[in-house]
Amino acid sequence: MRGPVRLRRTLPRVPDRLAGLGGVLIALVVLAAVFAPLLAPYPADELKPAEALLPPDGAHWFGTDQVGRDILTRVLYGGRTSLAVAAAVLAASAAVGVTLGVVAGYAGGWLRDVILRVTDVFLAFPALLLSLALAVVLQPSVSTAVVAIAVTWWPWYTRLAASVAASVATRPYVDAARCLGVPAPMIVLRHVLPNSLTPVLVQISLDAGGVILTAAALSYLGLGAQEPTAEWGLMVQQGQSLFTTNWWVVTFPGLAILVTAFAFNMLGEGLRNALDPRRAVR
Amino acid sequence: MTAMPLLRAERVTLGYGGRAVVHEVSLDVTEGGVGLIGESGSGKTTLARAFLGLLTPMSGNIWYGNQTLKKADLRAFRRDVQPVFQAESLDPRMRVGASVAEALPRAERHRVPELLGQVGLDPELAGRRPHQLSGGQRQRVVIARALAVSPRLLILDEPTSALDVTVQARVLDLLAGLGTERLLITHNLAVVRRLCRTSHVMFAGRLVESGPTADLLARPAHPYTRALRDAVPRLGGAPPRARGRAEAAPAGSGCPFRPRCPLAVAACESAPEPRELDGRRVACHRAEDVLAAAVGEVS
Amino acid sequence: MIEVRDLRVRYGGRLAAHVPELDVAAGECVAIVGESGSGKSTTLLSLLGLLPDADVSGNVRVCGVDVLSASPRELRAVRGARAALVIQSPQAALSPATRLGVLMRRALRLHGRDAGERVMAEAVESVLLDPAILRRRPHEVSGGQAQRFAIALAIALGAEVILADEPTSALDVTVQAEVVGVLRRLREERGLALLLVSHDLALVSTIADRVLVMRDGEVVESGPAGRVLAEPSHPYTRELLEALP
Repeated sequence: MRGPVRLRRTLPRVPDRLAGLGGVLIALVVLAAVFAPLLAPYPADELKPAEALLPPDGAHWFGTDQVGRDILTRVLYGGRTSLAVAAAVLAASAAVGVTLGVVAGYAGGWLRDVILRVTDVFLAFPALLLSLALAVVLQPSVSTAVVAIAVTWWPWYTRLAASVAASVATRPYVDAARCLGVPAPMIVLRHVLPNSLTPVLVQISLDAGGVILTAAALSYLGLGAQEPTAEWGLMVQQGQSLFTTNWWVVTFPGLAILVTAFAFNMLGEGLRNALDPRRAVR
Repeated sequence: MTAMPLLRAERVTLGYGGRAVVHEVSLDVTEGGVGLIGESGSGKTTLARAFLGLLTPMSGNIWYGNQTLKKADLRAFRRDVQPVFQAESLDPRMRVGASVAEALPRAERHRVPELLGQVGLDPELAGRRPHQLSGGQRQRVVIARALAVSPRLLILDEPTSALDVTVQARVLDLLAGLGTERLLITHNLAVVRRLCRTSHVMFAGRLVESGPTADLLARPAHPYTRALRDAVPRLGGAPPRARGRAEAAPAGSGCPFRPRCPLAVAACESAPEPRELDGRRVACHRAEDVLAAAVGEVS
Repeated sequence: MIEVRDLRVRYGGRLAAHVPELDVAAGECVAIVGESGSGKSTTLLSLLGLLPDADVSGNVRVCGVDVLSASPRELRAVRGARAALVIQSPQAALSPATRLGVLMRRALRLHGRDAGERVMAEAVESVLLDPAILRRRPHEVSGGQAQRFAIALAIALGAEVILADEPTSALDVTVQAEVVGVLRRLREERGLALLLVSHDLALVSTIADRVLVMRDGEVVESGPAGRVLAEPSHPYTRELLEALP
């Protein structure tokens, strides 16, 4: 066994560098969002109709929109909304999904079947369609978008956590705990859950970009964030009709979405490679 | 031998998903150490899991004292019977002190250093995680955790096979010095010779021979026991012998060893019933011939 | 076949293995024994130039080729054909979806050798396997069969020396006996040279002509197997022997 392992380590580790780049980009986006009030050159919702649709220049680096708001300011504040949505969706779906998944994976039998059938029902609907339906029924807002996306997102974590937990449940240390008479809930909490989390964390970072894109799509369709909230998807939607004449209105929020989603993906891929040596070989 | 064995398997058939891998095995865990010998796929680990109450028999019973495991007081059973798996049976994310403490009631957690000391470990190591310990140290932690509940019987599954020989020797010393009963599952005949008064040999999910360990290895009555013994290399000895072809699959009916057996005859088409012979219990139509050949070898 | 003088393998300044002298002639079996971390596998892999991360110095000739100064092409020619590496679990290194016969044919063609049915069948029979095994896939054969197939592949490729790293440690004893038997036969019938790395002193004592005992990267004792194991001069060798159960 030792031989091949050593040979493996000699393969170039390019993914690590990409993951590092992803991490740095995410850190920058997060810092920009957190310190938006300090960084933004103008107040958040300052309307200056007289300065509408100015192209990028020294005073407005990213230009201004239809009602004269500074787009750089709006992109910075929009990051707050988008990241908060991503964090809320992922926290809620991971909490619900992993709890159910770990229970299903450890318990097995009918409990597992019931839980996984429920996830099947949710997964049977196309995610965006289900989010859309929910967003239509509820009042369109940022929190509606969070609920709508989370509802379609958690079953993936359940399935992932269930399969990981089922394999962790066969490890000798779980058997040893059972032989000591440790109650099942304690075994799940102490042994199965902590040892099932790594792949979930990887999946979360891979998913963050997707959640931001979905939230942007909902806003774009008018079912998520509403005026005057600064949100990237909403900004793209409002700017798209102007693309041919005033390209900057749509381009900068669009780039923000692209860069953030891409950075999360790079980080996730890198984490996956770093945490799973077998995948690093492929 | 009049005392009731702590654990006993009675015509136990075990399997996963409806497929049996252990067939109608009866075995008493008697005093003086019991060895369960077999190669990979023989079903020995499956049988150990049943003895630990981790696997319910498809048919037959595991007896704990005078009760079947299904009806027995599990709390008492868990205190009496503890496993020692391979060194990798520690939670990789837990400090080893916490792993040992898990076995103890809250009021007795202070005994962790004492337990680590009992297995020859520096109590300072309690704060380490498994990957920061050597294989031998990890195995000692596993033993300390099992000893925490003061069990009467340890079920040891290949407790030393992942260790270097010098480390293995010290862990065996430790195990030999413990005051508990042992059921030892292994493929290593030397370890059984050291720790077990009685031994059982498994092949293809069946017990093929049982008897006093020294006698069993000196004069095997089953051709498989003999093949196993002769395959073990001995220091400065002749090269290990392989009798028969190992790739032959065990037959569905008749004697499972028949396709590999150099002595197979027509009678082996019918499954041999275990029978008493010369202090053994052996399942082989030609056991007398095997024993006679063994006597010839000795002289 | 193998000639080693003053081999030193370093990982970032740390000496992982130091072998002053090691020779394996045709038809001879030399064993390196030691526990985990002794440097025995490191030594073996360095002889085939398989440690690109390590800093290897000294004088190493395998089948007449100076391994440390050879071009990658020369090295590949030696490694794939005249000197073969046999590892602990060959099944993991064989592509799972490909039949063994196809694997063998590709390897033979790659090295410009005759890949006829008869050549392949003979190679497989030389390790006491049924040629029918060539139609099976790696996961459909047992560990012992896979290991013997790996040896057959080496023979078919014209191996003059086999470097084996714990070739039987993952196998049951009865299966180990067969693999060892095959190696002995190839040695006697074809003059195959064998460098064996193992932790099992008893096994080594039944097959090796000479033994090197390694500990913490250094050779503590070496000599004819009979003498080293019967009258060990180094305390560590004695400790190893006494530890044998």
